[in-house]
Amino acid sequence: MQAILKYILRNGLRDRLYLGLFIAMAICFALSIFLGSTMLVEQNQTSIAYFAGSCRTLLSCGIILFVCITINRAFEHKEIEFILSKAISRENFILGYLLGFFVATFIILAPITIIAIAVFKIINLGILYWFLTTLAECLIVICFALLSSLILKNSFSAILASIAFYAISRLMGVFVLAIDLPQHLNQLSLGNLAMALKLLSVMFPRLDLYSQSSWLVYQDSINSQELLIILLQSIIYLPLLIFMSFHDFKKKQF
Amino acid sequence: MPIKIFFHIYSHKIFFWLFILCFLLQAWLWKNTESYHQQQQIVPEPISKYAAAAASFGDKEFLFRTLSTRLQNSGDIFAGFIALKKYDYNRLYQWFKTLDTLNGQSTLIPSLASYYYSQTQNKQDTIYIINYLDEFASKDIDKYWWWLFQATFIAKRDLKNYDLSLKLANKMASSASSTAPIWVKQMPAFISAEMGNNCLSLKIINIILQEYQQNPTPEKAKEINFMRFFIQKQINILKQQKFDINQCQ
Repeated sequence: MQAILKYILRNGLRDRLYLGLFIAMAICFALSIFLGSTMLVEQNQTSIAYFAGSCRTLLSCGIILFVCITINRAFEHKEIEFILSKAISRENFILGYLLGFFVATFIILAPITIIAIAVFKIINLGILYWFLTTLAECLIVICFALLSSLILKNSFSAILASIAFYAISRLMGVFVLAIDLPQHLNQLSLGNLAMALKLLSVMFPRLDLYSQSSWLVYQDSINSQELLIILLQSIIYLPLLIFMSFHDFKKKQF
Repeated sequence: MPIKIFFHIYSHKIFFWLFILCFLLQAWLWKNTESYHQQQQIVPEPISKYAAAAASFGDKEFLFRTLSTRLQNSGDIFAGFIALKKYDYNRLYQWFKTLDTLNGQSTLIPSLASYYYSQTQNKQDTIYIINYLDEFASKDIDKYWWWLFQATFIAKRDLKNYDLSLKLANKMASSASSTAPIWVKQMPAFISAEMGNNCLSLKIINIILQEYQQNPTPEKAKEINFMRFFIQKQINILKQQKFDINQCQ
């Protein structure tokens, strides 16, 4: 598993994942400071919100591309067959890949967070929660991207599916809100829309609660109930995706 | 000549003339669409609560900051700015209210409203600013008394509506904030003095002094001096006017 971990990390280096994301985030960082400084008041808070929102989106999209392209290339170059020919179980193979992607994400996110603390002088618990929930969000996205890459042979389809999954999961708050709309509004669709949204909300995680920029700006905006939901959601959804990947990969014929 | 051979010999010329034809068509299209562009509005219509929730992708703070930047820079056109009198203040008011639903803690929007948008040349439009500041501060007068002061001041200076200004000043004076200076309670006296209602002004100052005697609180020397200055100035005015204090009873 250690060899796979090293292989994934080197893949990131070879694909210029770290360099590319660092450069993109540096641009986001500079733009956030510039846009924040143009504000009449609350310049620092504006820069923080811009920075947190843009970095989170960039990191999620970057990591989706990395996972999908890496897995697709491994299939095309017969690397998977080669690795599986060694004394390694299919479960360990998946876990090795996931661990590699997790560590790659941590390597990118940790320095960014430290730079944010140093530059924006964020000295509250919010930054810790933001870091942990952004990491958890990326882990869920990585698991889904890996699963979709295993199921869908085409990397383009896997990337699109993963981005759609991410977008819908971040919209889940609106869907839940729509389900709870007043009765007179629901009557327009005779409840079918609400039922469809309910089905969607069963299958998708509540990523809209993760990684809130407001935590970095207002410490009192941290809601312990939301944090508990995030924790439970991560504990349940991550193994769900991993077990699904195990199941799919077990059935795969090479 | 068979058509295949003809095409083989003259195809480069055919494609060249087709290219020229397409280029001319493009020039014709440009000529006809040159003046066609998107309708520009200084202040666009605000988005609904549900649209805002969807557009935020779960991160309301990010959307709030993005839309605040947009609101601050509305009317910022290429190589120039639009005069505030041309803005639709009703729409601005709706934007203020919408943005407050995304972030109820920030004072960015009341700052924009009172320090920037109140500078409009069309003074009648400031009523929207005053109403917004009043509604914003009414959420918690103890915490947001400053914005009520801004509303009071704008009503007096720009709208010249002293009755409204006095009403807002009275509301502000009801603040029980420990951080609010003494002039917050004096404000109705200032306004009523400017309105020429010396009896009311005198009554307010008397109430403040009585409250102070009953419950003395440590006040800053500058504030005490300012209060003393105001009382002295009013006494001089009343003396000049030969004001009879008995008419106030």
